[in-house]
Formats: sequence, C-alpha cells, structure tokens
Amino acid sequence: MSGNILEIRGLNKHFGPTHANRNISFSVKKGEVHGLIGENGSGKSTLLSQIAGLYPRDSGEMLVDGEPYDPSSPIDANEHGISMVMQELGVVGNLPAGVNVFLGRTKQFSRFGIINLRKMRKEAEAQFEKWDLDAPPLGDMPDGMMIESRKMIELARALSVDPKLLLLDEVTQSLSLNNREKLYALIRRFREMGRSVIVITHDIEEMVEITDSITVLRDGEVIGTVRSADTTPDEIRMMMVGREMSGHYYRSDTAPKYGERVVLDVDGICVPGELEDISFQVHEGEILGFCGLSDSGIHSVGTAVYGLTKASAGSVRLAGDGTGIASPTEALKSNVGYVPKDRDNEALMIHASIRDNFCLPSLTEIRGPVGFLSPSKLKSLSSDMVERLSVKCTGIGQPMDALSGGNKQKVNLGRWLAKDLKLLILDCPTRGVDVGVKAYIYQLMNEAKEKGIAMILISDELTEVLGMADRLMVMKDGRITKTILRGNDFTEQAVIGVMI
Amino acid sequence: MRTDSQSRNRQRNRWLFPLVFAAAIIAVLVIFNIISGGLFLEWSNLKVIISHLIYPCFIAWGFCFLFACGYTDMSIGGVVVLGSFATCALGNAIGVPGVVIGGLAVGLILIFINFLIFTYTKIPSWIAGISLAMIYEAVAVFLKLGRSTKPLVTASLASEYRVLGQLPWSIVLLAVGLVVIYFLYNRSTIGLNIRALGGNRDVAEKLGINVNRTLLAVGLITGLLIGIACFLQQSYAGQTTVKTGLTSINMIFQPLAIYLLAQIIQKRINIIICVPICAFILYAVFNILTVLGVPSGTLQEAFLGFFIVIFGVIGQRRAKGVVK
Repeated sequence: MSGNILEIRGLNKHFGPTHANRNISFSVKKGEVHGLIGENGSGKSTLLSQIAGLYPRDSGEMLVDGEPYDPSSPIDANEHGISMVMQELGVVGNLPAGVNVFLGRTKQFSRFGIINLRKMRKEAEAQFEKWDLDAPPLGDMPDGMMIESRKMIELARALSVDPKLLLLDEVTQSLSLNNREKLYALIRRFREMGRSVIVITHDIEEMVEITDSITVLRDGEVIGTVRSADTTPDEIRMMMVGREMSGHYYRSDTAPKYGERVVLDVDGICVPGELEDISFQVHEGEILGFCGLSDSGIHSVGTAVYGLTKASAGSVRLAGDGTGIASPTEALKSNVGYVPKDRDNEALMIHASIRDNFCLPSLTEIRGPVGFLSPSKLKSLSSDMVERLSVKCTGIGQPMDALSGGNKQKVNLGRWLAKDLKLLILDCPTRGVDVGVKAYIYQLMNEAKEKGIAMILISDELTEVLGMADRLMVMKDGRITKTILRGNDFTEQAVIGVMI
Repeated sequence: MRTDSQSRNRQRNRWLFPLVFAAAIIAVLVIFNIISGGLFLEWSNLKVIISHLIYPCFIAWGFCFLFACGYTDMSIGGVVVLGSFATCALGNAIGVPGVVIGGLAVGLILIFINFLIFTYTKIPSWIAGISLAMIYEAVAVFLKLGRSTKPLVTASLASEYRVLGQLPWSIVLLAVGLVVIYFLYNRSTIGLNIRALGGNRDVAEKLGINVNRTLLAVGLITGLLIGIACFLQQSYAGQTTVKTGLTSINMIFQPLAIYLLAQIIQKRINIIICVPICAFILYAVFNILTVLGVPSGTLQEAFLGFFIVIFGVIGQRRAKGVVK
C-alpha cells in the first residue's frame, strides 16, 4: 500500500462551457497537511467538493488508501473517512446546534423511531471536548448565532465522523484569533495522529506556516506543488497570478494621516451582553481599526453604529449637523455605508442580478421625481461600476450567486463607493477573497481615504488592521481596552498582549 | 459566543414563559366568566368549546408539517370537503369503520397526490394548491349530483355514526394525536429531516437527506392528519356544504389562524403543544363573543384578526432578532 491517503490522477470537471478542473493530479500523504491555493475561480472548491462527494467528476481517477474512490454523496465520503467543512454551506438555523452536528446521521440516536435528543446533545458536547473546540450553546438555534459559532458547528460536524482526511475550505477566515489558534492546534494534532488535512485559505502567510506542502491552481489547472518549508509567500503569489507580485499591499507609511474634522461621534453606547460603554470618534479620511478575540464585541460595534443593533444607552451621532443614527434607514440617509462580515446572508441579494445589487444603496439618488427608476440610469450605474471594479461577469443581468467570492465582494464594497459617503463601516472586508482582490480592496480603501471618507475597519486578521488603520481600538469582553496610534507600537506583539 | 451563564439563564427562562402564559390564560378565562355572568366556565359551555377545537387541531398540525418543509397547500379545504363526502358515503353504508376509512383514504391519497405534483413538477405549491382546490371542489359537486352545474351541495352523516366527533372519544383522539405528533415532529428522524428541509434545503441535501423522499413523507403525514380531520369534522358537524369558486378555502381559515397563533409563541413553547392551546384560546374568544351577542361571521372574524395581531405583538415582545 502506498504512503498516500489520497491520490488524484487526471481529474476533469466541467460546468457547462466552464472547464473548472483540468487534468488535475496531486497526492496527499498520510499525516500530511496539504494546502490548495489559487485565485478566486481557480477551481479549488470544485476540486474539494468532488473529493467530498458533492459533485461527480467528469473523468479521471481518485484513490483513497490505494483503493479506487468514487463517492456518490457526502455520506458516502464520510464512510470512507473523508469529511469537509465547506466555505458557504452553513447550518440549519431552525434546528438546535447539537442536532446540526449529527444532521443526516440521526438514526444512530434513534430507538423504536424516537430520537434521544439528550444523548445526541451529549455526544455533540463530547465532540467539541474531544477536539478542544469552544462549543456554542448546543440547545440553541444557530439562527441567532454569530458566523464564527456557526462555523464551529460545521467543524464539529465534520469531525464527528472521525475522519482520516479532513477538508477545510476557507474556515480560518471566519474565525477570530483564539479560535484560529485552536484550529491550528487541531491540524497539528491530526498530523501527529497520522491523519491528513487539505486546507484552502487565501492567507498565504498562514498557509505557508501551517501546511507541509502546497499545490497551486490557476484557471483550473495545477501549476505546481511545493514544499512549504522551501518556499516563500512571494513565490506562491507569483505562481498563483503568473507574474511577479509584491506582498506589500498594505500602507507603507508608519504615521497616522487623517483630517482634524470629526465625522462620527460615538458616546458611551451599551448593548446588553455585547458592548459596554463604547466611546470613540472617527475623523475625516481616517481608518479606525477594531480588533479583539471572538467574545470581544468588535463585530457588534459595526452593527451598533449602523443602527442594526439597538443600543440601550449612549448615542451615535454624525458630527457637524449632529444627526443621530438609530437605524439603518437613518444611516443610509446620512451617507453611512456598512459592509457586513457574512457577505452572502447579510449583505447581498444573492439571487438578484449584479445590477440590482449595485443600485440598491443608491436608489434615492437614481430615482426620478415621482419615484420612477430609469432603466438607463440603473444600467449606467451598474455598468460603470462593473468596469471600474473589473468585476468578472457575463453582464449586469447575471445573478450574484454565479460570481466567485472575490467578485461578489467587489460588488458588495463597490456599491457603497458609488455613493457620496461620509463614513464606511467595513467588517472583515477581505474575508474569502484571493490575494489579487485583497490588494484591490486595499487600493479602494486608500482611494476612499484620500477622498476624505472616514472608515471603521473591523477585522479578525490582525495584519490587516495593523496594515491599514491609522488608529487601532483593541477590545476585550465588550470594552475598549486600549487605543494605539499608528507608529512604533503598531506591532502584533503589542496588540496581542492587550487582546488576551 | 455566548457564555455558559447566559445559557443557564436561558434554560431558567424556558420555564418562566409557559408558567406566565398559563397564568395569563387562566386570568383571561376568569375575566370571560365574569363578563358572561358565570356562563363561560359552565361545563356545558366548555364542552362546546372543546368539541369544536378537535378537528381544526389536526388540520393545524398538518400545517405544522407542511409549512416546516417550506410548502403552502391551498387545496386542503377541498380535500376536507371530498374526505367528508367520502366519510358520509362509506359511513352511511357500513357504519363507523366506513367513517374512518372514507376520511383517511381520501386525505392520504389526495394530499399524497398534491405532494407528488409539488415535488416533481416544481410548480410553486401555492399556485398548484389553488388549481387543485378548484378541481377538488368541482369533483365534490359532480360526485354528489352527477353534474357540476349546481353551485351548492351538502352531504350528511347519520347521527348513529358520529360517535368519534363527540366527547369523550374526540378528546381521546386529540390526546393520542398530540403525543404521537409531538414525537413524530420533534423526536423522529423524519421530523428532523422535514424541519431541516424547510430551514436550509441546500444544507439538508448536502448532508445526505433525500429531499424527494422527505417531501413525499410530508405528504403522507399531512394526508393522514387531514384524513383524521375529515372524519372528525363530519362526525362533529354531521354535514358538509360546498360551493365551487374556491369557497373550500374558508374551511382552513380557522386552523390557519390556530397555526399562526402557535407559530407566534413557538420560540417559547413547542409548536405541536401550542396548537391545542391556541385552538382553545381561539374558540374561547369566539365563544365569549357569541355569548356577548356579537354577530357571528364578519364581525367575529374581524375580532379574530385583531386578536391575532395583539397576540403577535405580545408574543414577539422581547424576542431578539438575529444579531451576528
């Protein structure tokens, strides 16, 4: 028997005219952590989906432990010891978290047709304990949970089949620093147990750090496989995009740079259980960063400032005319934009067209005197934005769900930039996008900064806030624990020391 | 993520709402009794309310399964009409077994046919349901008269075969139904699969749940519940009247109101248990309105609509939306 747990030979997959995977061949050794990397739309998720039994392959061969492997469904893949945490799958919001862990495999808890829910919940708890993961309340419905908690449920679900090969598709970008560390520990443990992991992440530094080898995909083809210890992030970037690309896409200046005029004044806002006495100001052209661990409340700052979460005390006011923001309608009227972390569920109308998604925040500006929306104006705005942001699509009528993650995010962010904004709140704006789109988003942020737009940047990626922010608010347990100005103290060590 | 102490508080609060809710219902009943001069809580009056709520409960439970998987079936009133007619025909011919067989057979077969259509034709269920309702009404009139020109027909069941619609048998059926349906909806694999399908069809499918098989199981379960409602309705009322022109939809209005009330408080009390409670509240309101001399029909239904809104506002108070 070979030392490989998985071998793929000449695998092809088409979606209509799109050749998503072209003659893919690579292997994963037992006890190996193998990375798959490539730009959005390079075919990584399609490849993993075939290994996980979600799609059938068109041609080619897969071997697991040297035996031919042709999974008919995810359950079949599970039975072969392979499970996957998908990028966009999610959970069933109206069933308890504990049930979600075993959904599709509930018969093991059934006797005479009646399911023992207590036993199922205990077993779900045991799975979280076994793999040292933070469990969300397992009796609660995931509908009210943060994206991170839902991702942890999906992870526990994948681990509950006791896999010998675990497939992780962009999991880390949904997690905050502490849960990322737990995931890294889990990956190390898999390696020590002689089990294997295939990881997809757009964070190249992270990939080089946690994997043993990396296979780079471009336009559905394998460009090459390298040993992580023998490569650099810049080399990976070059393989991904096919040209030299600098890793320095963050700001290169080391001093804060913004206007004196205050744009937003947040005074002592409290949201029970989430935020405690939060006060800050954002200035013209300033990028104000927020970072913290998973319970810190950074994401609640975004929803509270935009009026999505009702504050029990305190005020959010736009400086100048002193307009208060208590609801998204008021925020929109005051030219405040918000890009949420959960792009597909909270930001985009995923089944609507690119045109409708681009135009939605700007309807007030576009509409005529009696409320009519001119088709030519809708077309003009969305076509201009598609061209300006280089959105890869077949046309403005294409539904959003047909776009890759990076292009979706271009629409998500770009539609706010079509407006004359005063303030833009960005919650994890580069989650699930590749290095090229990431660089482009930072470029857009820099352009917006130059125009004087104030920005609140909330991120689970410390390097991102350190790379882009003028000031950084470090949060812990719903409170701001320290404010750090861009300068000498702007280092990961300094921030982590305050976060933990 | 939420902390353990928050989770423990939630566990404690789980019992608070049902207790407060029960106390509120008792208080309202006492007020009704005072308003009606002691008539409301008389056993004879309570018997009327309880007898009345049995068959709508089975239809409302049917709605629980139907809506849980994300479908809307507007033909259920038409199925009840045909099932009641079959109950009369078979019941009057062979007695109580015929009553049961007639209702169950028509309910099961027709709702299963509906789900075959929903599942395999991909027509939006509410559109298909309205079309099927028109067909079932026309078939009922045609079968009764041999032609479909007369707009109003009635079918009656002989009084000696109506035992299942009377107390105590109807309440026994309700109690057995409550237990079986509770376990089926909450504690069985098929129940979880149905709810998973309504919650997130993509996830359910990718986790290996057979969507078509699950939908057909919903058809069978709902059909069985509607079939029971058919013979209980006929056994309680003794006759069913039908007109063409989608009038059968009227038959599902009150069960739908029960389901809506139950849905409002399902975050606090399990929806299957909510159904008979909400049915009792609903018919208690109708009863007190009748006792107070409010004309039945439009005015009572206006009161009902108003009541549902008020109930909804109170039920949703402090219910927190999704904050991610």
